[in-house]
Amino acid sequence: MSAADFRVLVVDDDPDMQRLLALMIRTEGMQADTADDGDAALARASAAPPPDLILLDVMLPGIDGFTVCERLKHDPATAMIPIVLITALEDRASRVRGIRAGADDFLSKPVQREELLARVQTLRRLHETRRELEQRRLAAEVSRKEALRKAFARYISPRLVETMMADLEAGGTPFERAPQRMSVVVLFADLRGFTRLTERTQVDGVVSLLNDYFAVMTEVAYRHDGTIFSMAGDNLLVGFNVPFPQPDAAALAWRAAHEMAASARPVLDRWASRGMPTGVGFGLASGDAILGNVGSPHYMNYTIIGDAVNVAARLVELAQPGELLVAGPALEAAGERAAPRGRLPLRGRSEPVDVYSAML
Amino acid sequence: MDTSHYKVTVARDLEDLIPVFMSNRRKELDTLRVALASADFDQLRQLGHRMKGVGYSYGFDHVSTLGKHIEEGARSGDRAALEARIGEYADYLAKVEIVFE
Repeated sequence: MSAADFRVLVVDDDPDMQRLLALMIRTEGMQADTADDGDAALARASAAPPPDLILLDVMLPGIDGFTVCERLKHDPATAMIPIVLITALEDRASRVRGIRAGADDFLSKPVQREELLARVQTLRRLHETRRELEQRRLAAEVSRKEALRKAFARYISPRLVETMMADLEAGGTPFERAPQRMSVVVLFADLRGFTRLTERTQVDGVVSLLNDYFAVMTEVAYRHDGTIFSMAGDNLLVGFNVPFPQPDAAALAWRAAHEMAASARPVLDRWASRGMPTGVGFGLASGDAILGNVGSPHYMNYTIIGDAVNVAARLVELAQPGELLVAGPALEAAGERAAPRGRLPLRGRSEPVDVYSAML
Repeated sequence: MDTSHYKVTVARDLEDLIPVFMSNRRKELDTLRVALASADFDQLRQLGHRMKGVGYSYGFDHVSTLGKHIEEGARSGDRAALEARIGEYADYLAKVEIVFE
């Protein structure tokens, strides 16, 4: 910061002193603003742009200089502005009171120009150093958060990373909030016959195949604002309307399934050309679920559990390659049409479910 | 009688401020006279205190010296001393010679 950018607020009710101090500051190339009393000083200090230094007379009409100093130092927005209290030379009691009020330095009346300028320049350098350190600290904090965000984004959904970062910024532990019951839409995607393929493929090859496949699937999930809760083997679990509300969650999930099928096709075609034919089946359901941490203190999963998850999991087991099986309520919520597959009994569920099929 | 304090040297860059400064001193003198006439010692003390601070700061050391005496005289309620100092102030303001360097 150059001298021309450095703003000094001169607070003195004596117009002659005010003019003199302002002129001395301006003669050194700095900016000087003035205030006649404590109220005006508080208003100027809080206005934008704030002063970089305040020369504050202690004897002011209304609110005195000590009180102004105390208030400014208690307000986080103005606490960092250096304050030079102007007191009478022999007035030691005022200096003690000024120190208690948080003053950074003192200047005696009558004011000696050299002394005034020496104190202002010293505080200016100190203020600049403090500001530079604060900027560096903020830059380091931003880059640390960004590194953390990038690192976690490789393992969990970006929306969960946002939740986690918000928890950390609020001073809490990520995902420590109480379990929540939510209305969710659940989409499962699963590779048909992939287990058989892995038996005939080298370990490195399996990982490479899955990475190719999940790269396109997660990209589509994120594009539709889905939250990935699980990626186990060749199985993908994506939640909608969770952890953030999405009024069009079912429609988003429906479109995500269609786009996933289309995006995965080139990958599956490549596998087929290498003698590894497979396809993706999808299961889609909606209903209540519980969102929370499941596991032990040593291993936790932030996930969703409940009837909607079970129904979607059973539907994906039944889906043929390239088929999306949808439970009735999810299809209705999506506002789409599909071929009825009948009222099917699902494993682990007492009531059968109306199921619809769409070929993708 | 020592009249050396009637000559004041002021920094050239303060020249623009001096007419207003002197005008304010003359107003101050009037206020001092009114305060003395009404025996308003509190106001006399405040005016003396202000003179003490502003005089030296501008290079008018005698204004500060007189201000100090007026502040003390007001504290002790010494009307005669106050009258003498205010008279001295009037004489000083009438005769002061300012040189800018």
